[in-house]
Amino acid sequence: MNSNRRVMVFTLSSITVYLVVSVIAAISGSSMGPFNKVNLVADIFKAPPKKNTIDITEDTTSIAPPLTNKNTRHTDITLYKRSNLITNFNADTTLPSLENFLEKLKALKTGKKRKIRIGYFGDSMIEADLLTQTLRKLLQKEFGGSGVGFVPVTSQVSQWRTTATDFYSDGWQDENFKTPTTGSLFFSGHLFRGNGDWVEMGDKTITDSTAVIEKSLLCGYVDQPVSISVNNAPLPVKANKKFNRIVLGKDLKRKIKIAVADERLPVYGISFESESGVIVDNFSFRGISGIELNKIDTGFLNAVNTDGPYYDLMVFQYGVNVLYHPNDVNFGWYKSLFLPVIQKVKKYFPNTDVVMISTADRAFSYDGEYQSAKGIDSLIKVQADIAYQTGCTFYNQFATMGGKNSIVQWADAKPSLARKDYVHPNDRGCDILATRFFDALMKDYNKYLTTNK
Amino acid sequence: MPAFDLSAFLKQLLYDPKNPLLFNNGFFVFFFGVFIVLYYSFRNNYKIRRYIFCFFSLYFFYKASGYFVALVILSAIVDFFISNAIYKQQNASRKKLLLIGSIIFNLGMLVYFKYTNFFISLSNDLFSTSFHPLNVILPIGISFYTFENLSYTVDVYRGQFVPAKKFSDYLLFLSFFPKLVMGPIVRAHDFVPQVNEPYVLSEKDFAKGFYLILSGLFKKLIISDFITLNFVNYIFDDPARYTGLENLFAVYGYAAVIYCDFSGYSDIAIGIAKWLGFSIPTNFLSPYQSKNVSEFWRRWHISLSSWLRDYLYIPLGGNKTASLFSYVLGAVFFVGVVMFGVHLCHFKWSSSVLLSAAVLFIFILPAIITKEKKVLATNVNLLNTMLLGGLWHGASWNFIIWGALHGVALAVHKIWVLLTGIKLKNINNTRWYNVLAGIITFHFVCFCWVFFKAPDFESGLAMLYQISHKIDFSVWGAFFANYKSVLGMIAIALVLHLIPDDTADKFLTRFTKVPMVAYMTAFFLFVLLYGYFKSAEPVLPIYLQF
Repeated sequence: MNSNRRVMVFTLSSITVYLVVSVIAAISGSSMGPFNKVNLVADIFKAPPKKNTIDITEDTTSIAPPLTNKNTRHTDITLYKRSNLITNFNADTTLPSLENFLEKLKALKTGKKRKIRIGYFGDSMIEADLLTQTLRKLLQKEFGGSGVGFVPVTSQVSQWRTTATDFYSDGWQDENFKTPTTGSLFFSGHLFRGNGDWVEMGDKTITDSTAVIEKSLLCGYVDQPVSISVNNAPLPVKANKKFNRIVLGKDLKRKIKIAVADERLPVYGISFESESGVIVDNFSFRGISGIELNKIDTGFLNAVNTDGPYYDLMVFQYGVNVLYHPNDVNFGWYKSLFLPVIQKVKKYFPNTDVVMISTADRAFSYDGEYQSAKGIDSLIKVQADIAYQTGCTFYNQFATMGGKNSIVQWADAKPSLARKDYVHPNDRGCDILATRFFDALMKDYNKYLTTNK
Repeated sequence: MPAFDLSAFLKQLLYDPKNPLLFNNGFFVFFFGVFIVLYYSFRNNYKIRRYIFCFFSLYFFYKASGYFVALVILSAIVDFFISNAIYKQQNASRKKLLLIGSIIFNLGMLVYFKYTNFFISLSNDLFSTSFHPLNVILPIGISFYTFENLSYTVDVYRGQFVPAKKFSDYLLFLSFFPKLVMGPIVRAHDFVPQVNEPYVLSEKDFAKGFYLILSGLFKKLIISDFITLNFVNYIFDDPARYTGLENLFAVYGYAAVIYCDFSGYSDIAIGIAKWLGFSIPTNFLSPYQSKNVSEFWRRWHISLSSWLRDYLYIPLGGNKTASLFSYVLGAVFFVGVVMFGVHLCHFKWSSSVLLSAAVLFIFILPAIITKEKKVLATNVNLLNTMLLGGLWHGASWNFIIWGALHGVALAVHKIWVLLTGIKLKNINNTRWYNVLAGIITFHFVCFCWVFFKAPDFESGLAMLYQISHKIDFSVWGAFFANYKSVLGMIAIALVLHLIPDDTADKFLTRFTKVPMVAYMTAFFLFVLLYGYFKSAEPVLPIYLQF
């Protein structure tokens, strides 16, 4: 028997049923669960468009000579919504926000020999020196300085960090934010103990072959002098302070190898710095929200600043790990936990400028379509609020990268600017983020120059 | 209240680059509905039926790739005339000249659209030229229909096939919409005679077609898309960020994805063809059940591997002799291995030469064991076939590396058989031996998929590095908790795969007369399931890029 008729009967009756259900669902506008996503006529029955709830404005302030008195500060909290702007919430956006820091930059630029150290804190968004590598390069080009800054002894991503080589023996014990600790953790959230272990590092950022690079061991407290070896030569080390910076070499070499036989010495890492200029330290710790910084003990924080502020600028970029659940919109809990962290930073680093960077865009799949996390606006508001309350400056990374759904566009761009997890900008994307932040910093710097002629 | 939007409706009829037509678009449902009414109404008028079929096929292609539809028509015209000229031509050398003309036309078109930028970058790297890459877009399906054209003219030239007399016969062969975009690669001598046959299918054919379409949709739209979007894409995008365990499962996941995606699409094509009275040979036979690489190639993308056998491997000399061309290509390969060692693996020159010599030894060894020169010829021809077959999949070094790995593996397998065939006579058919051989083969195939899928060689290496150096089974708990659903999908894919080949056929023979309502229920259950898993953004089938 010929069943060719069955093909037509099946096709037509199925389409009829399918179409009828689809049209009914489309016209009634009622939700029919999973059927919504396979509605045959979804594309030709248009619902009125929803309003875009976020308005993003750009910092278009033109730099004009100041007419207002600097002391009568009038604040505007809504400035946090602006893209490409580092704001201290001063309503007069012709004034600079990071005055203290910019003054140091100007001094450096005008020939004064000095070191300006920036600590850039974040999560996986800045892992492997992404973002900070570009920021460092741009700042050093503009204001001078060389060296990659701090490099931890070991790291999950040391193989992929292109700005520093890092080879190490297997025995290093890593105590960190996520493990029990037996000493003070460094800003990086780690401390390492070696027992006959070695690490060999190299700085790959230096283009000036005549630059003298200071290589220092950063370590914590140990009650007795211990001996380490530096490039296979023994060196006695007196690490009797809570935070020790021991210069191991100051020369043209870009590599250094140390070995630690005594596990009582808490090692943090090695810093590669020129004697003068801008140094940018990258402190990435995967999966954290910033609250973990509270685990760094106050004795350590006190000790860091004994010879003046260790950091001239601290930058905190967190948030994607706070947006952990697609439907979270309430971040009061985060405020109550992160506010004390920043208050503590302000207390122990009174002469350090602080920039709080908002979360970048992060998308989840809602009804099968990747869209910005529902709670992103409220999280950014909470972050801005913390900055406002603690007297920090704020920079809206989300607005700067393009606002709502920008991460989706970045991930789908060709070539892509972000990874397909719709969270992490890739090296190209981080390059853009760093450049925009640098531009915002320079804009602020130019405001400073204009107001302080 | 939502209202009918006429302009949106009319726009649906035009090509939309963001949403090209695939079998899973809502538009295809309407397309097929209108088509089947016309096709059925004119089923006994072969001429009109053929025109309808051609029109719908070309329209399908337009909806899938825009004005590139002109290329299909152009290549159909050129090859139709050349093949008839070849057939009529008595003079052997003129016949050959016509064939060469056809090959130049078809390969020229393929090379221009697919490999121009690859050769530009190759020239820039090797000879330090500074050509700018051209803005060439790869027309969908071109790799498939140029191969169909080639086999057609070659068959006519060899006298194995009388060319189609009517242009519409040939146009339909080339543009037949179920297989146009992603194959299978169909042979004219199988297909063209079916064009003007009565439209007949048995109840079993109907059941089998339904089963192929539905299971193909399930494999493509539910399993493959789910694993791709929710796992494989972002791990392969940046392997270094993920643990060894995640990377390892991303490779297993991709093995499931590429099989489900590609064989799913083939099944849908074969099923739809069956419903329309055409029989197209099967394209995949549970390839991961293979017990060695050579069996894998008899089960994986059969229409391609048999095409390569008939129109590349055999003309190169097959298992008898190797032409000068074979040896030249072979020599280029061994120089290539040295360059590969130096530039991509950062080996020293001496180590790279050693690597190349070792690979060369693998190819010579079987000839030494058997003391037959033609075994070497076979090996060289196989290697060349795998290399060019690899390159067919895409214009990148990774595909060549993928082909080379398979080529080397075929030679290694040959050595294994020669060395152990007799000694292991008693155990090489036992169950445990087969299971072990199957597991090893599967893992080798997976290893090769790393380079197939990775965007460049470095990320492939990064992935292997993570798997070999950063594997830590203590994270299993967290891994499992996070990826349960993905792991479940991978498991379903592999279990489906392990079902013996003939089970579905045996099962379907029981369906002599199932009521229409049962078919419709099954279909709508699938639609709801699809709705449940659907991602709004269509994941383009992987083989679209080839």
